[in-house]
Amino acid sequence: MPLPPASGTGKYFARAAKSIRLIRQGCTNRPFFHISVTHRRRLNSQPVIEQLGSYDPMPNFNNEKLVALNLERMKFWLGQGAHVTTPVAELLGLSGFFPIHPRSYMTAWRNRRTERENLEKQKEAEAAATSKAE
Amino acid sequence: MGTGSQLGLLCVVMHVPAEKLWKSVTSVSNAGAKKGRGKGAGRIRIRDLNRGQVIGVGKVNMLWPGLSAPVIRGRELLKQQRLPDDPERMEKLIKLRDSMTKFRRLKLSTIERGWSGTRMPGRSIGPPDPVADEEFTGFDTKVLQLRSLLIMKGTLGRTRNYQAMVVTGNGQGLAGFGLGRAKEAPAALRKAKNRAGKKLMHFDIYNGHTIFHDFFTAFGKTKIYVEKKNEGFGLSCHRAIKEICQAIGIKDLRAKVEGSHNLQHIVKAFFIGLLQQRTHQQLAEEKKLHLVEYKDENEYYPTVVASPSVVRTKDEIPKDETLDFIQYVMNDRVVLKKKKFPRFYETMPHYNIYLKKYERYRNHEKIRLNLKIENGEVKSFLNYKYPEENDVKET
Amino acid sequence: MSLHKFIHKNVVLQYNHFQLLAISSRKLSIIPSVYDGEQDPGPKFFSSGVQALLKRLTRPDFSKVFRKRTNSNRPVLKTPEYKFLTNEELQSEFSKANKTAARLLQMPPVVKVHQPINEVLSKDPALVGYDNTKYLFTDITFGVPNEDRLIVERDPDGTLQMCDHDTRKRLNQGRKVREPMMFADEEKLNGLLEAEKYEYILDRACIQYEPDELSYQKVTSITYQHVDMKTNYKLLRSTRHFGPLAFYLTWHQSMDNLMLELLQTGVIREAVLLMGLRQAIHEDIAFASDLNALVHQVLPMPVQASKPDSLSEVDIQLDNQCIDCVVKYIAKNSAMKSQQELALQGFREDYQQMVELSRGLRKAHGEA
Repeated sequence: MPLPPASGTGKYFARAAKSIRLIRQGCTNRPFFHISVTHRRRLNSQPVIEQLGSYDPMPNFNNEKLVALNLERMKFWLGQGAHVTTPVAELLGLSGFFPIHPRSYMTAWRNRRTERENLEKQKEAEAAATSKAE
Repeated sequence: MGTGSQLGLLCVVMHVPAEKLWKSVTSVSNAGAKKGRGKGAGRIRIRDLNRGQVIGVGKVNMLWPGLSAPVIRGRELLKQQRLPDDPERMEKLIKLRDSMTKFRRLKLSTIERGWSGTRMPGRSIGPPDPVADEEFTGFDTKVLQLRSLLIMKGTLGRTRNYQAMVVTGNGQGLAGFGLGRAKEAPAALRKAKNRAGKKLMHFDIYNGHTIFHDFFTAFGKTKIYVEKKNEGFGLSCHRAIKEICQAIGIKDLRAKVEGSHNLQHIVKAFFIGLLQQRTHQQLAEEKKLHLVEYKDENEYYPTVVASPSVVRTKDEIPKDETLDFIQYVMNDRVVLKKKKFPRFYETMPHYNIYLKKYERYRNHEKIRLNLKIENGEVKSFLNYKYPEENDVKET
Repeated sequence: MSLHKFIHKNVVLQYNHFQLLAISSRKLSIIPSVYDGEQDPGPKFFSSGVQALLKRLTRPDFSKVFRKRTNSNRPVLKTPEYKFLTNEELQSEFSKANKTAARLLQMPPVVKVHQPINEVLSKDPALVGYDNTKYLFTDITFGVPNEDRLIVERDPDGTLQMCDHDTRKRLNQGRKVREPMMFADEEKLNGLLEAEKYEYILDRACIQYEPDELSYQKVTSITYQHVDMKTNYKLLRSTRHFGPLAFYLTWHQSMDNLMLELLQTGVIREAVLLMGLRQAIHEDIAFASDLNALVHQVLPMPVQASKPDSLSEVDIQLDNQCIDCVVKYIAKNSAMKSQQELALQGFREDYQQMVELSRGLRKAHGEA
């Protein structure tokens, strides 16, 4: 029995709902994702219809996260009415292919807020320390 | 009571000759001998208990002038005296007796060894003896076959003869083979070797490493298909053909023996085939066409190796003529290429499971090597980025 | 306008930075000079006239062009193949081999150093804080060549822009991501230069770099200058690198050493071709019309691999014209006058002897 290829089997039901999603492929402590199109009701462990790209969430040697996108096939499946999951939509938004996803803005805003709060806390702690010393 | 019975036993031993005693130990009953007892490694052998024993030397280390030592040493007259005891004497004696019984196989160094163990075939027996002050310098002889032949004679009954086949050569194109028969094996080998030295033949070697072209050759029911090979291919053929090639100085060749594997026929067929080779010029003249060589390492540049005096045009070549070089030099013979079956494990279910599991690790070896090249150890940049994680792992 | 200025400044800065990187060794110190001036060498290099001159100057010798190569994915040698061929088939095989030779001798292009890519697609300050790493997006659509591939980056400050050349090169696979030691380590490159492994260096540079890269031009220019300094032209003849070498030397006005070598080895016709190359690139030779006519005469002539046994009257006439041309060149344009004059004098004496010999031979055979 040959192994199903990572790039997908190409077999699908025409009328069934499709979804473009991230499928985790790495190993323990080393995430790596394929961006694949598959049936919406199918499990991530099952063979996919087609692989459309990849996403490496761990920054590489130069502190970059690499994303590969097969834009031509992406357009085709979007035209077929495939549903796009939020993480993929975020990536596509960052790439400029989609408008920026609201969740990206929310994440950015939350990150900025926590950073600001951390700074304030730090300042307060410093102020408290100096007042104590006096 | 006890002493009396011991004495009786001693008396029996004293009165029976050693021969009979040994026979009683080593003999096997008639029925046992028929079954094959008393043969091989477990066989009991007669030991010579007198070996290593010297008159005048015993358990007590005494000096007996005139028996175990000279009477006068220098100007001094030696006196009978007791020397200090040698504690290892008995051990040495036992060791000597054991060495007589235990069966030892003759051991050869790996270089001297032939095709198999201590048997003669494949072993080197040096150059042939000089003929009329002509020495065979640079020659070496290899035994190809040594076997015993049994002949029935009217007066003597069944007699044993030895037959040897050897090949001798200087590794630079000069070689010959010889067959010798004699009553003894060494004599047969010597005869064969000297005959081989008298029947030397010269063979041209293509570029100093291989034959000129593929050929087919046969002797009796033995058929040999020989293929020319590139430099560095080595000798991939029957062991006798390999020895012959080494004697001649051919380094790269492939040969397949079909039909009978009679060794003498293989040797004869191979020599006949080598002698019947045609040079490139001869081939070009036979075909009346240019012979062109293409080499992969030279980007298949056409090199004309031989041109005939008159070249035929395309119209002059009949339609059914064999123009394929290999087909032509093989005399339209084709090697039987057997179907390759998958390895026995490849059809088993566990192999599929292994393949599935291995898919995950398929690049790890390469990555490890690359990490070693770049960082000197199997550590990626992440190990350097998060040094605190390293410490956790180590402890 | 401001952008242009910015780019220009950047390039100049890079160049200065680059001169500091100049190779220094025990004996020699070569300052790499690259094609980064106002003028683009590309159009001149690719023009058919210059290409023909460069190919002819390469002086292809088939025994060297088709020499034994064991490096190109060939772990073991293969058994040679043999064929019986008629005359016509042999001729067609040779013409095929000529095409292969043309492929093997195809020169690496000589072009200007590329400009940095600075194309911002969008700026979104609301994305600041999303992540502290860059995101690189590569389009992997089937059939798109690497140079046209869409590669963009999203910076931590929310800017979406086209990637610069070095990132593009890293993401387009096909070569080692890290620079090999022989280029990264000056000592190692020096060792190779001292060992005169020019072809190896240049081939490796072709594999690792693009021709419009600064590093490529740096490595090649150091190698060319080393070849020129040691007069090792013969090591690069019959290889694809001789054309760019001759072009480089001519472009930087330092082809007189090559001219001297041609005169010393008595290849007077190629000396004329080299002058033709100079005229095609710089157009600074006074007797241009005579020279061009002569170049057109010489170009179709076969390559002089070795000294001819006898000379026909046509050959003698042509060679004399060449000598006249060279004399004019030495007087007006040469930077190594005395040495070249000496070499030409030596060549003339030899040539006169040859002429007399071949005329005498023809007389003896009763042809003249």
